[in-house]
Amino acid sequence: MSKEVDALFDALFALTDLRVLLRETVPIHKLNEEQQNQAHSAIARVREALSLLEGALDSEDRK
Amino acid sequence: MKIANNIPVREVEEDYINIQPIQAAGRLTGDAMKALIAYGDGYSTCDQCRKPFRLDKITKPNIAEFHNDLAEFLHMEEARVTPGARRAFQAVCLALAEKGDTVLVSALAHYTEFLAVENANAVVNEIPLNEKNVVTGDAVAQKIEDVTREKGKKPALVMLDHFDYSFANEHDIASAARAAHQYDIPILYNGAYTVGIKPVDGKQLGVDFVVGSGHKSMASPAPSGVLATTSEYADQVFRTTQMIGDVTGRKFGIKEVEMLGCTLMGANIIAMMASFPTVQRRVNNWQEYVEKSNFVIDALINIKGNKCLSEYPRKHTLTKVDTTGSFDKIAKTHKRRGFFFSDELKRLGIVGEFAGATRTWKLNTYGLSWDQTSYVADAFKEIADKHDLL
Repeated sequence: MSKEVDALFDALFALTDLRVLLRETVPIHKLNEEQQNQAHSAIARVREALSLLEGALDSEDRK
Repeated sequence: MKIANNIPVREVEEDYINIQPIQAAGRLTGDAMKALIAYGDGYSTCDQCRKPFRLDKITKPNIAEFHNDLAEFLHMEEARVTPGARRAFQAVCLALAEKGDTVLVSALAHYTEFLAVENANAVVNEIPLNEKNVVTGDAVAQKIEDVTREKGKKPALVMLDHFDYSFANEHDIASAARAAHQYDIPILYNGAYTVGIKPVDGKQLGVDFVVGSGHKSMASPAPSGVLATTSEYADQVFRTTQMIGDVTGRKFGIKEVEMLGCTLMGANIIAMMASFPTVQRRVNNWQEYVEKSNFVIDALINIKGNKCLSEYPRKHTLTKVDTTGSFDKIAKTHKRRGFFFSDELKRLGIVGEFAGATRTWKLNTYGLSWDQTSYVADAFKEIADKHDLL
């Protein structure tokens, strides 16, 4: 698996982790400390994966 | 938000506590959702399908091992995945019942058990319930005697739900199995409401077939299910094709007739596999979910006029209640009629009761945390209080 495809799935999976947190906390979505940490971690993983994908898109090799 | 312009995104589980009776335990795990993302393409399990070309023999991903794990999980000897519990009923009926044979089912049997029997050109006879809406071993024995006397032939099969779909009452499977075996009749355990949420030991129960529903109780997408059996019946229900094409001479030796070859060939089995570690763990927490169920039902029946129609205290998370003496009284004069109750629940972030129903209806609390359990119990009290029912 290329690192770009790996990043794509990692972003999708991290968003899925966020989705699970939403499901676990319905209907008020009040996250406890551990859940907040999990949410922050998932968002960071998405950002990191998107940065890698943006970098790949902008790289000279692809132009 | 829409998919392909006209399919609404389903956000029920992200926005609401869902107490829908048949959806609760089929809710996917995060890992199952990831499996759907990665394995959504049609024949996605077949990338590395090698000889002998059968789903349960594939080792990458390790579908073969999953089949062994399923059999072990249910304390049986062989297992196959099926497109729902209904296809497992069908496979067993087709394998065991001949035209005109009798198959005994509970008076609370699911309709798909009827269809499976009819599909095999056999005939359903129902085992009556006792005064508590429960099937006993004695009732099974009596029905076998009655049918054998009337038809001159004993039934070909007994199919019995451990917990039925209507009341989710517990039926005495072990006694039923002893009764059936006294007459040398095989018995199928319908675990659509147990396999995947509570421990099931087919060997200890003494049954010949264990059937589970992936989408009902194993945190898996529909359709998915499992059929497990003993080595005694495996050759019969998993028989392989003997057919040879008269023009081409083709034969498909290892394909199983009642399974119609491979069954779950894509995302469904991979999602089922992805949820399985969670499923294996969560069955050990069953009693806690039953406690939560009783907590909610206690709150409901403490509202004047309400009754629990299922056996009580609850032994399951699915329950049938009667609110004719409370919420239905409000519905009679409310401008929204019975929908007032759905409106009130939705306002509080709860969905899944049968919209508009205020007399008898079902709810399932499986999967709720204690916070959510208290929230649901308080919501019923709040609605009752608002309408002066307390």
